[in-house]
Amino acid sequence: MNPVVGVAAFAAVSLATAVIGFYGLRVSRTTGDFYVASRTVKPWWNASAIGGEYLSAASFLGVAGLILLSGTDALWYPVGYTAGYLMLLLFVAAPLRRSGAYTIPDFTEARLDSRSVRRVTSLVVVLVGWLYIVPQLHGAALAIRITTGLPAWVGPVAVVGVVCITVVAGGMRSITFVQAFQYWLKLTALAVPIVFLLFVLGGGESAAAESPSSSTANPTALAPAGPYQIISLLVALLFGTLGLPHVLVRFYTNPDGQSARRTTLIVLGLLSVFYLFPTAYGMLGRVFAPDLARSGQADALVLLLPGRMIGGMAGDLLTALVVAGAFAAFLSTTSGLVVSLAGVISQDVFGGSVRGFRLAALISAIVPLGIASMTGSVGLAGSVGLVFAFTASTICPVLLLGIWWRGLTDAGAIIGMVTGGVLCGSAMVAGSVLGAAQTPSWLAQPAAWTVPAAFAVTVLVSRATRGRVPRTMTRLMTRLHTPERPLATER
Amino acid sequence: MTRVRVTAPRNVTSGSGTPSSVTPAGGRPAAAPHEAAEESDAGQLFVRSLIRSQLRLGLVVGLGFLLILLAFPLVLGLVPGLADSTIAGLPFDWVLLGAGIYPVIGLSAWLYVRTAARNEARYRDLAGDK
Repeated sequence: MNPVVGVAAFAAVSLATAVIGFYGLRVSRTTGDFYVASRTVKPWWNASAIGGEYLSAASFLGVAGLILLSGTDALWYPVGYTAGYLMLLLFVAAPLRRSGAYTIPDFTEARLDSRSVRRVTSLVVVLVGWLYIVPQLHGAALAIRITTGLPAWVGPVAVVGVVCITVVAGGMRSITFVQAFQYWLKLTALAVPIVFLLFVLGGGESAAAESPSSSTANPTALAPAGPYQIISLLVALLFGTLGLPHVLVRFYTNPDGQSARRTTLIVLGLLSVFYLFPTAYGMLGRVFAPDLARSGQADALVLLLPGRMIGGMAGDLLTALVVAGAFAAFLSTTSGLVVSLAGVISQDVFGGSVRGFRLAALISAIVPLGIASMTGSVGLAGSVGLVFAFTASTICPVLLLGIWWRGLTDAGAIIGMVTGGVLCGSAMVAGSVLGAAQTPSWLAQPAAWTVPAAFAVTVLVSRATRGRVPRTMTRLMTRLHTPERPLATER
Repeated sequence: MTRVRVTAPRNVTSGSGTPSSVTPAGGRPAAAPHEAAEESDAGQLFVRSLIRSQLRLGLVVGLGFLLILLAFPLVLGLVPGLADSTIAGLPFDWVLLGAGIYPVIGLSAWLYVRTAARNEARYRDLAGDK
């Protein structure tokens, strides 16, 4: 492949990101701007931004790669990623917006009236964020290696560099514009090559020999997933989305609870449209590029398929587009996570100043860079799936019970988060020590038992410490669930 | 619906509670704070009923969606030949899982948003929070 294509695509995306980021710099002035873009972002912008931030390396590269490897079993990933937003809409979106908190630790502290709960939540949020950034950087390493031939470390370093510059310069307001732009870039980057591929297939001679229906042929010897694995994966994805820090921080930029719901509805539409394309890539890959699955490069399918099937200049241009989309995915998810982590770290450690936010942003981007350089990449969709399992076992129970159950106490929340975190964390460590082949399915997909365990412990401990229900609970529950007063009556 | 019964305690103005709906020309200051209204016994009754109906709505939509989701693989497994049939040249199970689920998600979400807004409008009417 022509290495100039990859470098040019990455440079163009970085430049566009930086330009939009600096445009945003002129409108963000105060600390409030930096955190939540003054809560004046329109639903369409906000929904595009949420979509842009959510569609990570796992969605852009990982889903197609996993479909190439394991066929219809992998289709549950995009379904789960999308349905997670339905759960977010049903149980979290409006109340969380009405809580008026900036970050998840802000919410748990306000709800439970406890500094200790805040500290534990902050710790979990930072951990989740770092775990989630690492696969993005692995994706960047893969994309750089495959498309330019440069050493793999260049990818992660470049992504972290661009993210630091935009976040430090602009805060959330500019990030919102950048993310919205990147959703549409990612969609275009997948859709345009697919249209070309289908066009070529429709008129070409190769289509006659192999119709897409032969995609049921399995290029690998992987055993089909059992019901346990599918259910456990769905539990992780459905409940994990609720607790993702970079997703939740977006809801604070809605003016009120109703618009938070409208935004989520639009996001669901955007995600549904997007996921049709990785599915199509995976399907085509099973027919036309099964060798990638056997050589362990399944995650590179989206990057390589257009160049393989359409040669020459057109193929190069389409490849450049896909590479640009992939880097948009790494950049947007990483910068979204860095902004939300920096929000948490700067408030807890640096007292919430703009300078502290910038310092915290650097910290939250550089630590995962270190982790990523020390670890090797396994399947992108799979490792992001594990982060969802971790979030579902820690943040999700506290968030759901905090919003809907009056009996939650600080002790219940802390012990529940620690239980879920320890159970799911040790399953993840055990899985990586044993290796993919040796890990039994209950360890490889732990969510089906760690999430119920975390819920049960949270409820039982809260019951046992009934006296610790905060006195502010009634007022806070009222605020979470009652509609905002129309502006006209505000005195 | 259970919400009918909460119309009764509207006049129960206990202690500090001054529901702003009960402020005709009676000389009560119009500036009666809404917060106080919400924290009175009557106000809390409305709030609790709102929370219950929103939770019930969320659970019904969520469980309904999960049932449909679980029905997909069951139908594929139980109806013989269905998994091998094709739609427009594409295998049926791929079309069902890869594209067919998304309209179900969208429809559930749309139904929820509409009904949740209606629940809130009803609460506004009941609590006189206009």
